[in-house]
Amino acid sequence: MKVPLTWLQEFIDLPTTDVGELSYAFDMLGLTVENVETIRPEWSDVLVGKVLEIAPHPDADKIRVCQVDTGSGPNQIICGAWNFEAGAMVPVAAPGAVLPGDFEIGQRSIRGVESNGMICSERELGLGDDHAGILVLDGDPKIGSPFADYVELPDVVFDLAVTPNRPDAMSILGVARDLAAHFNVEHRMPEIQMRTVEGSTEIEIRVEDRAGCRRFTAREITGVTVGPSPFNVRHRLHKIGVRSISNVVDVTNYVMFELGHPLHAFDADSISGERLVVKRASEGDTLVTLDDEERVLTSEDLIIYDDDGPTSMSGTMGGARSEVSDATTRVLMEAASWDPPTIMYMSRRHDLLSEASTRFERGVDPNLADIANQRASAMVADLAGGEILRGAVDVISTPTAPAVVDLRLSDVERLLGSGFTVDSVSGILTRLGMDVEGSDPMVVTVPTYRPDVTRPADLIEEVARIYGFDNFEATLPSGPSGGLNPEQQRQRVLQTALTGAGLHQAVSLPFVSVEDLTHLRSELAESALLTVKNPLRDEESKLRPTMLPGLLDAIRYNLSRGARSFGLFEIGKVFSSSPDEDDPRLPDQPDRVAWAVVGDVGTHTLGGPTVKADGAVSLALWRRLEKSLGLRDVEVRPSSPPGFHPGRTAEILLAGVPVGHVGELSPRTGRAFEISNRVAVAELDLAPLLRPVTPVKAKTPSVFPFIEFDLSFLVDSSQSVSELLAAMRGAGGELVETERVFDEFVSSDLGEKKAVAIRYRLRASDRTLTNDDAGPIRTAMIEAAQKTGAVLRGA
Amino acid sequence: MDPISTLDQAISEAPAAVAAVSSLEDLTMLESSLLGKNSPVGEVRRGMGKLDPLDRPKVGVKLNEAAETITALLTTRRAELEDEDEGRRLLEESIDVTLESVTFPTGSLHLIQQTIDEAVDIFVGLGYRVASGPEAELAWYNFDALNTPRTHPSRLESDTMYLDWGDPDDEVLLRTHTSPVQARWMEQNGPPVYIVVPGRTYRTDTVDATHLPVFHQIEGLAVDTDITFGDLKGTLLHFAREFFGPQSTVRMRPHFFPFTEPSAELDVSCFACDGGEPGCRVCGGSGWIELLGCGMVDPNVLEAVGYDPAQLTGFAFGVGVERLAMVRHGINTVKHFIDNDVRFLEQF
Repeated sequence: MKVPLTWLQEFIDLPTTDVGELSYAFDMLGLTVENVETIRPEWSDVLVGKVLEIAPHPDADKIRVCQVDTGSGPNQIICGAWNFEAGAMVPVAAPGAVLPGDFEIGQRSIRGVESNGMICSERELGLGDDHAGILVLDGDPKIGSPFADYVELPDVVFDLAVTPNRPDAMSILGVARDLAAHFNVEHRMPEIQMRTVEGSTEIEIRVEDRAGCRRFTAREITGVTVGPSPFNVRHRLHKIGVRSISNVVDVTNYVMFELGHPLHAFDADSISGERLVVKRASEGDTLVTLDDEERVLTSEDLIIYDDDGPTSMSGTMGGARSEVSDATTRVLMEAASWDPPTIMYMSRRHDLLSEASTRFERGVDPNLADIANQRASAMVADLAGGEILRGAVDVISTPTAPAVVDLRLSDVERLLGSGFTVDSVSGILTRLGMDVEGSDPMVVTVPTYRPDVTRPADLIEEVARIYGFDNFEATLPSGPSGGLNPEQQRQRVLQTALTGAGLHQAVSLPFVSVEDLTHLRSELAESALLTVKNPLRDEESKLRPTMLPGLLDAIRYNLSRGARSFGLFEIGKVFSSSPDEDDPRLPDQPDRVAWAVVGDVGTHTLGGPTVKADGAVSLALWRRLEKSLGLRDVEVRPSSPPGFHPGRTAEILLAGVPVGHVGELSPRTGRAFEISNRVAVAELDLAPLLRPVTPVKAKTPSVFPFIEFDLSFLVDSSQSVSELLAAMRGAGGELVETERVFDEFVSSDLGEKKAVAIRYRLRASDRTLTNDDAGPIRTAMIEAAQKTGAVLRGA
Repeated sequence: MDPISTLDQAISEAPAAVAAVSSLEDLTMLESSLLGKNSPVGEVRRGMGKLDPLDRPKVGVKLNEAAETITALLTTRRAELEDEDEGRRLLEESIDVTLESVTFPTGSLHLIQQTIDEAVDIFVGLGYRVASGPEAELAWYNFDALNTPRTHPSRLESDTMYLDWGDPDDEVLLRTHTSPVQARWMEQNGPPVYIVVPGRTYRTDTVDATHLPVFHQIEGLAVDTDITFGDLKGTLLHFAREFFGPQSTVRMRPHFFPFTEPSAELDVSCFACDGGEPGCRVCGGSGWIELLGCGMVDPNVLEAVGYDPAQLTGFAFGVGVERLAMVRHGINTVKHFIDNDVRFLEQF
């Protein structure tokens, strides 16, 4: 909302005009200052002058010789404009004056006649486009006074952001009211002097939708002459960024910005059947609005009809058919109150947000309607002539009574702290125009222009606002105690484990397309996916059932920008259309952790050997997580889920329950995402990983020496080493301190077998082991290995 | 020469001979020429048996003196030479210490995560718990429980993403803020409540420099028997000082949210300039950075979850995580947060 300081000053005597102090006041009132613009005159030394007499130029037909008084007696000025006569008040640029564009006025001679300055047009002063004639001033400006005073320059225009709960503040009047409360001064209403003549409007107003229209006032002005508005009205509208249309239309805008109540002026002669009917539209009816758009109406639209059909969109925009034009002589001034949600939905349905609709959807005071109507009618009569018919229409379908709220001081203190008294609270409320009776409770009558204030909490907010948020002491509540819960602590551990392995955390949008999922060769049926009803784009209509598309997009993005070796992980939700186990009213939405790694991983040495991301790297990352989180009862078994490399992927089970997969991306899926590298990928349910584990029972490290031996076996290529190790671990017993696979290779010499070499270290906690201890253990382990089909090498 | 003189001579000549040696090999050779079988000392030792028994003790004492003195000289010199030797060897194996020939992998948490963790820890330090809730949420928790009327514009599809799921009368949407967790927590837990809720939120916004359809918020809620507006101010002042530095101040401006009354916007003093430097890249010269929305919990919200507003008061606030990070790190577009460009991620 733009508020020129000079306009505001018509409503309030401000104790300061300092821009900083006023901006602070606005901010503290919740009328956030978005911008402050200072408008300065673009001229110097232009004065108000009175044309005393006009004579023809002896040598030229098109120009005249004027005697103009600018406070120091007659002064001769040659002028080419003919739109004024003697007695007119005009802006005069004296010799030495500078006009916009650094145009300096000098004394000069025009066709042999001396001219001491220039009478200026709007355009010459940079005040508008009008150059048809010179600017003739209305009213009674003082001769010789600076013209800048007449146009209220310099002026400061505050652009205020008004929150949706404050429709009352969307006007100069409303802003003045708030400032009056803030500064504890009075404000005033504009004086309305409406001269009426006998007679009543012939136009019948019928409100059929009484819920949609709370009040409808209409007043007829006959014999008006539509034409341009006087300069001062146009100039005020210009300052707030409103284009001048005509005197009648300008008045409706002027009064809306001034008082906050939107108005509409009908050309009364264009109302067919002398009747306006307020009702919901018939589905499919059309209305051409003032912006020349044809609107197809729905049965929820609240429309004003006449005998020829829809003629105005209530509270939003008038219709072209009954628009005021240059030919209009009878004006029907409408000020009506509309149901806020009806206007909100209608204006959005038609993508038609107007100054009127933004006010009505927030709630305009119905008790302001006739005041605004009178103000506007009086101004029309002033500016466009004509006579106001005394008999006006005022249909009140739902009377609006002020809210009466009981407020106890203790409630104020509970919310705002101590330091308030009945006097201070009722003082503040009174400054806001509220009527306060009684002391505890205070019985507060709230003006109807404040629809947001209906409860004690609303009054307390008003008290806080006017008291000043800056004046509250900063304190801290006493006594809470909390902290991260075990799952939250374990998530931090998980994050650290993954970043410690060199991975970067990614955050991607959880929307996917069915096509993305097809690439992943997901087994998920489309019906299993959760769908957004109103997606931003069709390809973002599904919520991800897997974390992989986002990570793979990020891998492709980084590869295309030259990154070669990097790893990403992400923690987030996946979604499905099955119901959530805990709250079946909601879809299932578990948290997952997933990663994708390409290129070299781990410690990097100049010229040294590198490790490339692949399925084995994923397993190593898993083992790191497992270790960091202290997970026990973990099973790793070969698996081939969709999207993963079937020979390089494992399923992870915790206490026998599958929690996800770690492995390598299937090359086919990689190609679909334009990735040709091997990608180590994994996706795991987060909740089971974060479930707290029992504390580790400490083992005291043995101080005795160890015995080591190596065993090498041939096993079937398809046999997993973990199976072999498990068998030998079982046979080895408690004395086996560590096992380490130090070699695994497949050679054509070995046929369908692979060779595995393992180093075992035995140690006892209570004595030094001898070969007599180690021998039988070694033998038992070999036997156990052989039972799995392994053949001892070098035996 | 008599044995005593021989030994005296050996003792007196040894220091110069030892000092003249410049390598460990030469020192070993010198050792045998000074103390070996055929050295003057060695010859005296061998001839001890042939000496007059009366002379033997005197010569014996001298012999020990010579052996000890010379051995001590040799030991000292050996240590010196070993030091020199090692010094040389270490110099020979110098590396270019400015060259990073070995690098360990260093990952990073996403800046969003770091910001969340840091902010959460500040509130945990004040005694708060950390709560979370569903992202696909019932409209009831997202709007109704938070005193947002059926007709509020934020419910329109132009602002909120709805899901094609469940009972049409119990609409499910992608939560537009973390505030529904307020209601969920209070339904499940009695007062007092001191929680923060970090999480992902959704709006119908297309991606541009300042908008993402998916972003992050941290919600805070305190409900107790004696929470005041001053407590809200003090809590957020504490947060601002921890997050932006101890010199920070805050100011609150009246604002509007359906679920708080009074409602406020909180500004924090600019940390980049000393209060309103014209053209400051962070605050634009105002001296203040608009940070978050907050207010006293509306009694209707307390009632909706079965709390008694006559007994309890509370405050709530919600801060945009992206906004916190952008302000502090001078990030000019939110797109960076979802691009996952490693060059961006690894900076933090």
